[in-house]
Amino acid sequence: MFNVIRKIVKYPRLAQDYPRKPLDSSLFIGRPEIDLGKCTGCGECVNRCPSRAIVLDKKENGIGINYDECIFCTLCEEICPVGAVKMTNKFELAEKDRKLLRKSPIIIEERNISDKSYEVICSELSLNIKKTFGRSLQIREVDSGSCNACDSEINALNNPFNDIERLGIKFVASPRHADMLLVTGAATRNMQLALAKTYNATPDPKLVVAVGACACSGGIFRDTYATSNGIDSIVPVDVYIPGCPPRPQAILYGILKALDRV
Amino acid sequence: MFTEIYGNLMKIFPADIYDQKCCNENELYLHANPAKILDFCTHINTEMGYSLVSMFANDETSLCEKYAVYYVFSDREKGLFLTLITLIDPLKMEFVSICEKVHAAALYEREIKDLFGLDPIGHPNAKRLVFHSNWPDGEFPLRKSYDVKHKPDFAKENISFNKVTGEGVFEIPVGPVHAGTIEPGHFRFSVAGEPIINLEAQLYFVHKGIEKMCEGESIERCLFVSERISGDETFANSYAYCQAIEKIAKMKIPPRAEYTRVIFAELERLTSHLGDLGGICLDTAYGFAAFQFRMMKGWAYGVADELCGMRFLRGVNKLGGVKLDFVAGKESKLIDQLNRIRTELEDTVKIIKANSLFIDRVENTGILQMSIAVDLNVTGPAGRASGIRYDVRKAFANDAYKQLTFTVPEHNNGDVNCRMNVKIEECFASIDLILKSLEMMPDGKVLEPIHSVEPFAYGLGIMESPRGENIHWVMTGENNTIFRYKIRTPSFCTWPAVCHAVKGNIVPDFPLINKSFNLSYAGNDL
Repeated sequence: MFNVIRKIVKYPRLAQDYPRKPLDSSLFIGRPEIDLGKCTGCGECVNRCPSRAIVLDKKENGIGINYDECIFCTLCEEICPVGAVKMTNKFELAEKDRKLLRKSPIIIEERNISDKSYEVICSELSLNIKKTFGRSLQIREVDSGSCNACDSEINALNNPFNDIERLGIKFVASPRHADMLLVTGAATRNMQLALAKTYNATPDPKLVVAVGACACSGGIFRDTYATSNGIDSIVPVDVYIPGCPPRPQAILYGILKALDRV
Repeated sequence: MFTEIYGNLMKIFPADIYDQKCCNENELYLHANPAKILDFCTHINTEMGYSLVSMFANDETSLCEKYAVYYVFSDREKGLFLTLITLIDPLKMEFVSICEKVHAAALYEREIKDLFGLDPIGHPNAKRLVFHSNWPDGEFPLRKSYDVKHKPDFAKENISFNKVTGEGVFEIPVGPVHAGTIEPGHFRFSVAGEPIINLEAQLYFVHKGIEKMCEGESIERCLFVSERISGDETFANSYAYCQAIEKIAKMKIPPRAEYTRVIFAELERLTSHLGDLGGICLDTAYGFAAFQFRMMKGWAYGVADELCGMRFLRGVNKLGGVKLDFVAGKESKLIDQLNRIRTELEDTVKIIKANSLFIDRVENTGILQMSIAVDLNVTGPAGRASGIRYDVRKAFANDAYKQLTFTVPEHNNGDVNCRMNVKIEECFASIDLILKSLEMMPDGKVLEPIHSVEPFAYGLGIMESPRGENIHWVMTGENNTIFRYKIRTPSFCTWPAVCHAVKGNIVPDFPLINKSFNLSYAGNDL
């Protein structure tokens, strides 16, 4: 018992002050950016990007990165012959509109799921949603086919360093108790029905946040027989958090963005 | 070495070995008679004592107009692989099941049936494994004729669970969406009162078709896919993939790169084990200890951030070495942080082991018997806790691991306590290994890039991930692409063992037992 108390006294507080104070992000690998002045449009990065997130428009000589598809692998920085691509330290990338993350237009495929109770996509959310959830928020996490890295990072929100409960945000065990669904993964074929059912079981009004490249767009697992291109083909999404996986603080930023608290 | 094995097998099966090929120093491939495969495998498994470590089919209709089934056995004392290849006529589409004699084959055969449509003749329970009731009959995605983007319509087929009947027997369905922040899987408990009579796990909820999507892609892109097979085994998976490609390219990576890989692999093991220990404490409602371990896990992530800027060690491995000299100039900081973790771990372990309430909960809970573990090819901490003295880092050591000395934990009881102790001891061993590697690391290059590989060559990559033996088999195609990529993570072998370990335990102990194994759903489902 004495040893336990000694430990508690030794480490009284580990929680970082983020988001109240900015985080030292000098070591982080954030999103890549292309210097259009230097870029020669050779297309090397477009061809070799593992998740095919870089798009080149030959007509307008425009090149850009779809951050919802980017897996932050740093390959583009490494292979660019003229050094036009640079990895930055920016990690707060969450956006409410997927278009803001993209260079090329989105194509969302509509799919029929053989369950009658499946709710058709509706984006009508109550206007006072932010008022309702402004102070306290209950989150239900759903893994719809991730590689478990995003789930580990969501778990890390509960660790002593991030301690998400200091912001009044709590993870709950049932969608019935939840105000927000935090969805990871590429909405695999076998999880689509479970995801739709979880969404339906969550009482209105509710928020949905897509965590990670897979949930935003399918990421590197896009276009296979068993995955869908992002969870927004199944449920309406309020905030997209890119990253592979996004850091705990990036997820926190996205959650707070959904609540209009940042 | 191989001539002896080959000679012995030729004596017993003189007419049934058609061809032999040695490649990559420690791999022997034998073309065998498909009709005699049961005898072959039984002999290799029981008489010679080799374990079946992987088994898969391959659509080689474009090469030889046949399907092939590969049976990979390993000799863990000598560090060898013996692979049997049988060819199957596309008109017949069936092969002889070996799982009555070699139990570890049961799941592989069901997987082959789902993905290729090859029928295992004589399999006692050949129901669907990979696909759920929504997948229509007659669609086999791993055949070359199947388009990776083709999504068949949703069907309503029937898959039944094993039924336990009797007075007072209930079924408890759990999942796929669980109460905690974990991955999806469906568990069907049959209980009479509290004790569990039977548990059936339906997995493959996160099946993403990784093996199919790698086919025809460049070897470079598949490296990034291999990093994303299972998040907390990122480095072990990419290591095994790189090793397979490096074997095919017949090159040796620079010594400094070997040591850098050891450092990262051990760091991943340390992080993963600290998380597991925290999970075990949390599932016994031991909040103080859980948060101590989470704090240490946070520090371990800090080390990773310091070294490579990625918490999950992604983008570290490259074909032919590691991307940068990540360690140079950071040695003293690294040593300080690791020593801090070690001191804290020592203190916390002392505290939890002195807590009789906690030990009472973990001792004799979820016992996995050694005979079951051997039959199912359970490896890693789960195997070592049940008395299997096997570690890939010893049996298939690379040059760096050969130079480094470390002890493999030895426990026999197979309960949660043993698995926890294995993990605690491995945490200390990992810290020591990193510190020793830092001392022994030679200077020099860390990367010799591989640009091209020979077409239609194959090789096995093997690595000890935090969960156990991790085996990747790669066959290259034309223009530096992948023809077939078979991934077998330790979770695939260990999931059936969990179902055995929980029998007779009470339902509230299931999360604890599950956490002590801490298997990856993503690594199993692919």
